[in-house]
Amino acid sequence: MFRQIADGKVDAGVTNQFFGAVNARRYNLMDTAVVFEPSSLFFATRKGKNRHILVAIDRHLHDLKKNADSIYYRTRKKWTSEELPFRIPTWFIAIASGIFVVLLVSAGGSLLLKRQVNARTFELRQINAEMEQRILARTAELADATEKARAADQVKSAFLATMSHELRTPLNSIIGFTGILLQGLAGPLNDEQRKQLEMVQSSSRHLLLLINDVLDISKIEAGQLQLSWSTFRLRDSIEQITKSMLPLAQKGNLALVVDISEDVGDIESDRRRLEQVILNLVNNAVKFTEHGQVRICVHRESDEYVIRVIDTGIGIRPEDVPQLFTPFHQIDSGITRKREGTGLGLSICLKVLDMLGGTIHVDTEWGRGSTFTVRIPEQRRTQS
Amino acid sequence: MTDRILIIEDNAQNMYLMKFLLGKSGFDVVGADNGRSGIEMALTLRPAIVLLDIQLPGMDGYAVAAELRRHPELAHVPIVAVTSYAMAGDRESIMAAGATGYIEKPINPDTFVEEVGCYLHAAENRGE
Repeated sequence: MFRQIADGKVDAGVTNQFFGAVNARRYNLMDTAVVFEPSSLFFATRKGKNRHILVAIDRHLHDLKKNADSIYYRTRKKWTSEELPFRIPTWFIAIASGIFVVLLVSAGGSLLLKRQVNARTFELRQINAEMEQRILARTAELADATEKARAADQVKSAFLATMSHELRTPLNSIIGFTGILLQGLAGPLNDEQRKQLEMVQSSSRHLLLLINDVLDISKIEAGQLQLSWSTFRLRDSIEQITKSMLPLAQKGNLALVVDISEDVGDIESDRRRLEQVILNLVNNAVKFTEHGQVRICVHRESDEYVIRVIDTGIGIRPEDVPQLFTPFHQIDSGITRKREGTGLGLSICLKVLDMLGGTIHVDTEWGRGSTFTVRIPEQRRTQS
Repeated sequence: MTDRILIIEDNAQNMYLMKFLLGKSGFDVVGADNGRSGIEMALTLRPAIVLLDIQLPGMDGYAVAAELRRHPELAHVPIVAVTSYAMAGDRESIMAAGATGYIEKPINPDTFVEEVGCYLHAAENRGE
């Protein structure tokens, strides 16, 4: 074929690229670019002539295309299978290089991102360490402050206890000598002297109550109030309290009603402290009731006793109820100005009951009366 | 023979008050205003009961009670602390130091003599 081309017998030949490239040089022939992409090759002939040849070629091609093993397909397969590895299409190169660039960029990007993430992580670690340091410092400061506050609290309680003691010493002689004079042990008194001495006595007793209450509060707050547990008859305590309050109730023209249910028996508690609480409630009820009655009702509910002190007194305004159990809080209303008291009673009641494992609750209606409900365990509950 | 009562108390008013109340009731009352002289008087005058304040200058009531208890001849003499110490454990401390009883200040002038009398009788009954 190459010789025939070189001799000018044929115009051109079609062959394999490598085979062609090698032999073309030998015959001093020029090669042209091989077009791999599907292109349309045409057999051309002069117009109007050799029509039968064209028809024969077409028919042959048509037959060849029908048969998979025909020379048409074999040739094509041979060529395409040999061509493919060596000839990468430009569109493929374009896409591949595009992908490569994208990959490169993304790899670079991810590297950059990784560096940034590392930097941020480091920063975060540092901030975290700093925060931990700060928290530690603050915790130490807080512990220090708490310790100081506790120390100050103890100083305060010790101060109150000392003051109470110091105040009691002179009060001892005031109350004592007033008592002696009123008993007539130092000689007879006229009516005016007696009246004035009774005022001294009443004032000094009030002062003593105040000091005792302050002492109680400071003892409780200093954790120095020691309870003395014993088993006693609750009924006896209630009856004793009622008896002691009877003169005051009668003076105010009030009925003092006691209603102790059959199931009320022994209780294990601190007798003195529990009686202090109940006495305080009954005393309040009598003080704040001008007409009607004060009822003390006691009954049992499973393993606790419920003690109710019900009065028909002035009641408590709803806005005053929340502060009722805070120290030195006495409700300021026209009528209460007349009442004596320390403003510590109910706060002591609350604290004492808390220590005894009990609770206190108030239901009240302004102008109609109040009910104080104490719940106290029948037996000492060991604290867990 | 009237019972002799020794009061150890540094506050002059309180001393006078107790002396007055007990004296009116017919007791023979002697007083000391500090612990040292109180112990000396207890040893020489042999009171039937000692009323002891806790807060005393120099030697305090705890030390006085302990010292009194070291003398066998005073072993049967009741020591009653009369004090306004009222913090938790005060009662226990003074009882541990050797006191027999405890009367809290301010004393009640209506019942004070009676209370002292109770301690006195209890001691006499034990002695018999």
